[in-house]
Amino acid sequence: MRPENYQAQSHPPSHEYELNFGPNHPGIEGNYALQVRLHGDTVVSAHADGGYLHRGFEKLMEGRLWIQNIALVPRICVPDPVPMEVCYSLAIEDISGLQVPERAKWLRVLQLELSRIAAHLFYFGGHAATTGMYSPSFWGVADRDLILDRFEELSGGRVYHIFNIPGGVRRDIPEGFLGRVSALLDYLEARLPEYDDLLFRNQVFVRRSKGVGVIDQQQALAWGVTGPNLRATGLGFDVRRDDPYLIYNQLDFEIPTEDSGCCWARTLVRRSELQQSIRICRQVIAALPDIGGPVRAPIPNPLAWNVPVGESYTRVESSKGELAYYVLSTGGEKPYRVHVRGPSAMHAVQVLEKMVTGGRLEDVAQIMFSLDACPPEVDR
Amino acid sequence: MSREGHSSSYQRLAGTRSLQEILEIATEFERTARDFYTALAPRVSKRIRWLVEELADEEQAHFDLFDGLIKRMDLAEHIADRIATPASDHRFSDAIHLPDLGENPDDQAVLQYAMGREHAAMDQYGALAESVEPEELRALFRFLANEETEHKRELEARYYEIVHSGGV
Amino acid sequence: MSSDIDYKDAGSILAPLKNLRFFAREPVTEPLGPRPAAENYRGFHVNDWELCIGCSTCQKVCDNAAISMIHIPGLPNDPVKGVRDHRPAIDYGRCCWCGLCVDICPTGSISLTREYVHTCTEPELDSYFVLPDPNGMHKTHFPKGWSKTEQNDLLDHDRQPMAEMAPEARIGDFAEIVAGYTDQQALLEASRCVQCGMCHDACPTQMHAPDYIRAIWQGNVELAVEEIYRTNPFAHVCGRVCTHKCEDACSIGRRGTPVAIRWLKRYAMDALAPAKVKKIAAKGKSRKKSGRKIAIVGAGPAGMTAAFDLIKQGHAVTVFEALDQAGGMTRYGIPYYRLPSESLQRDIDIIVSLGVEMRYRTRVGVDVSMAELEQEYDAVVLALGLQLGRSTRIPGSDHVQVRAAVDLLRRIAAGESLAVPDKVVVIGGGNVAMDIARTLARLQKQQHGVVGMTVCALEDFAHFLADPEEVRESGEEGIEIIDARGPRHCVVNDDGTLGGLCTWKVLSIFDEQHRFAPKFDESDERIHEAGMVVESIGQMTDTGLLGDELTEALEWNRGRMKVDAFGRTSLPWLWAAGDCVNGPDVVHAVADGHRVATSINEYLTQEVAA
Repeated sequence: MRPENYQAQSHPPSHEYELNFGPNHPGIEGNYALQVRLHGDTVVSAHADGGYLHRGFEKLMEGRLWIQNIALVPRICVPDPVPMEVCYSLAIEDISGLQVPERAKWLRVLQLELSRIAAHLFYFGGHAATTGMYSPSFWGVADRDLILDRFEELSGGRVYHIFNIPGGVRRDIPEGFLGRVSALLDYLEARLPEYDDLLFRNQVFVRRSKGVGVIDQQQALAWGVTGPNLRATGLGFDVRRDDPYLIYNQLDFEIPTEDSGCCWARTLVRRSELQQSIRICRQVIAALPDIGGPVRAPIPNPLAWNVPVGESYTRVESSKGELAYYVLSTGGEKPYRVHVRGPSAMHAVQVLEKMVTGGRLEDVAQIMFSLDACPPEVDR
Repeated sequence: MSREGHSSSYQRLAGTRSLQEILEIATEFERTARDFYTALAPRVSKRIRWLVEELADEEQAHFDLFDGLIKRMDLAEHIADRIATPASDHRFSDAIHLPDLGENPDDQAVLQYAMGREHAAMDQYGALAESVEPEELRALFRFLANEETEHKRELEARYYEIVHSGGV
Repeated sequence: MSSDIDYKDAGSILAPLKNLRFFAREPVTEPLGPRPAAENYRGFHVNDWELCIGCSTCQKVCDNAAISMIHIPGLPNDPVKGVRDHRPAIDYGRCCWCGLCVDICPTGSISLTREYVHTCTEPELDSYFVLPDPNGMHKTHFPKGWSKTEQNDLLDHDRQPMAEMAPEARIGDFAEIVAGYTDQQALLEASRCVQCGMCHDACPTQMHAPDYIRAIWQGNVELAVEEIYRTNPFAHVCGRVCTHKCEDACSIGRRGTPVAIRWLKRYAMDALAPAKVKKIAAKGKSRKKSGRKIAIVGAGPAGMTAAFDLIKQGHAVTVFEALDQAGGMTRYGIPYYRLPSESLQRDIDIIVSLGVEMRYRTRVGVDVSMAELEQEYDAVVLALGLQLGRSTRIPGSDHVQVRAAVDLLRRIAAGESLAVPDKVVVIGGGNVAMDIARTLARLQKQQHGVVGMTVCALEDFAHFLADPEEVRESGEEGIEIIDARGPRHCVVNDDGTLGGLCTWKVLSIFDEQHRFAPKFDESDERIHEAGMVVESIGQMTDTGLLGDELTEALEWNRGRMKVDAFGRTSLPWLWAAGDCVNGPDVVHAVADGHRVATSINEYLTQEVAA
């Protein structure tokens, strides 16, 4: 706990006590913390305490040129950076009427889905760790690394790809890239049964997570739950299908759902999404060789670029849920306002506080992680 | 206007058989030229006096060079060294027509005159180098011709800079 | 769709044996040895110092302010060539390796490498602050990673096209050829600028080009004109006919077409109403009269710029001009199709409107002597220009139909009618040669219906003096330009009429030191048939007006009046400016005008103080 947030209090004699999850909890990176008040093993109340580690993205963006923000946005969600880049770019393209070339759209989808797979692999490891199982962590991180290798090849950066810019993408794919991605997908698909054996058919994990942290559909909608967390309550809403962007309406994929709304359901939805993402990637790889043309629309000199007056609320489906950018331009060379509607801030604050209340101490970490909130995105 | 008696001196030079003697005559030419420019300088406009004074200085430098050579013992050897890389010559067409330097010559006229003079001297020494027999005399004439060619090239460059005032 | 994983199926009792297969698999851990990075890797920077010009564009795009420009003594620093002795240094405590510096670099000098490990105990590297050079930060020559390609280049290399009249349309009369930018074109062109300021440094009068370009980009023409008037009262003229050293230095020009700085200036000047321009020009004019009188000889750009500055400083200024109107060579030398006299007149009107007294048709040395000027005025400026045309003086060049280009241009500009033969040869390869050739070609078209114009230049096309666009446009107008021809003599027919020009082929014009050393091929002799030969090889100042006494009293520098860094001659009351000391072009003349005005003002105010 940060000293400035600490208030010494003298409590009346009680069986209640406070416990801090984070900021150094091994299951969650960043500086975000959850303060829980317990009675015995039962959570009486919880308070999400946003950290300082990644503060001020939105304000920072107001002070930077339109193009400079492309290096900033992926940092908002480190494990799943591509939707940040794409969504920011889409919003600017929407305001300024930039026509993104077809090839760039497909390349963006390929990145988006690879990023989703990487984020989910990262997530399984973390979630399993909260139940005391560490093998999936190692597996997930190692397999995610193979995806990062491809991102490194594509963009020159493993974690912060900074590859999408308003107008398209910065470069075309390297020679032989699609073949290597294809091989990677084959490998990952072959790994899925092994993950099933390790985690999803592992009775320890099943019993630990089933029926824990339940949220019903109505509550989920009322609290602003989106993405896999919402789909785990039986509602098959996905921006990719219900408000399609880029070329998602040309792709064939399904929206996995589960009904039970518990930790297990949330993990299972993501497990099924892996398969769908692999499926989408394969469609892109098949289609891309026939889509020629440039990978970026001509954009003005970045040092003299006034995005026309206008505003845009643009949303995409990130691995964590619905991600949206509200961008307001007053016709200047810098954004007047950028607001990020991030799924993690929703899930990790208002949803989590309510969900853990009444739950048990040993489940707190798991519930936190099952929502797949990304701390930098909460901190901001 | 005087041309410093080149045609008559050709006969004098052609009959000469000693290196020292040739150099003395060549030195005499340079002295005459220097005196000519020195005398001209006060008569031209101050605007172009620098040009005439420069020419006088250059002739003086040649005079000093030849004069110094006369006094050297290893003359033949030294000259052989100096003409190892002869200056190439090609004629500059609008400069070879010798004008009559009138009472108040301008910079172009002075330069054309000077170029004409160097050209004539160069031609003469060149012809002598071809016609005389002993190798050491040939070498000396080639050296002299080379010196005059060098000087003419310098003048041509200056002519371009002054008259063809680049790019207007 | 729900998952089909049967979580209740615990599997066979032998299921754990599946794990045995992992023994046969490679470990997923990375080997301990160095791991080569991907070809596009965004690692530490390298910078090719030969290519880098120190323009600081990388610094401007850097989103973390990680780049500082460091002065490196000993590197070339040449404003005219657009090179600064600064190089970017990276603060790796701030750098985020986004590579925008690579994408925007106008020269393509900066790249990222595949080097990404920096562990070191040496004190000289014990810093995050690194000056990238071609060898990389550890001098280990890692291959390049993310570097400039056509795809990731963020700069627009193509200039907005300037609409101009088709050759067939323009050859018939003297209408201005270029149309000027529209608002939209100007805005787009201005947006190409990276604000490096190379143009400002290269400009003889240090125009604030980045600022006015920025103002145009912001749609604020009034501000643009204000920025222009900070340094240049001949902006209508310079917007059309400036030799644009700025564009030669423009960093965008390193890999693309430089920003059309000159056309943007023209756009701003034309876009603002003359009354508003007048108001801007009058800003800062002193209300106090100094009581000092200054005479300026010559109403060209240098003289009028000096007049502009001095009148604003509160002095009384009288300009003596031998001809009917002001403008000097810009009026009497530059053809109408390049600079319409109305545009020039707008500049002149603004300067005169500030209160300058103009004495036209007054020839100093004839109507008024230099001695009188010295007597009556506190200071005198000689802005005489280069009004005399040089002659080749080849045989036959004294023929009446062998003319000087500057004389003809002056007569035509003054409105004299001139009968042009159907065949004309111009000797010369500079811009004046192009001007007279194109002017006479227009008259030929009007008088004979066809163009019969040949230009013989001493220089070959590789060393040509005229601007490439002049050469191109001349060609479009049906003018034959023959390079590398040395004039031999003018052919005079038996009846005394001019027959043409005889030339030799020039084999080479410069030696290895790039000094003039022509070589001719005398066997390649050509006769160019012509009824008129125009000599346009060079120009000189007519210093006759000074008189012998003053000529003798003045110090000279290789044929020109000797002046100090501020344009003052060896005489305390006399300054000289413009082409006659520092030429030849308009913008140098403007710069000179400012210089002498500053010097005179200092001299006069010091005198008062003393």
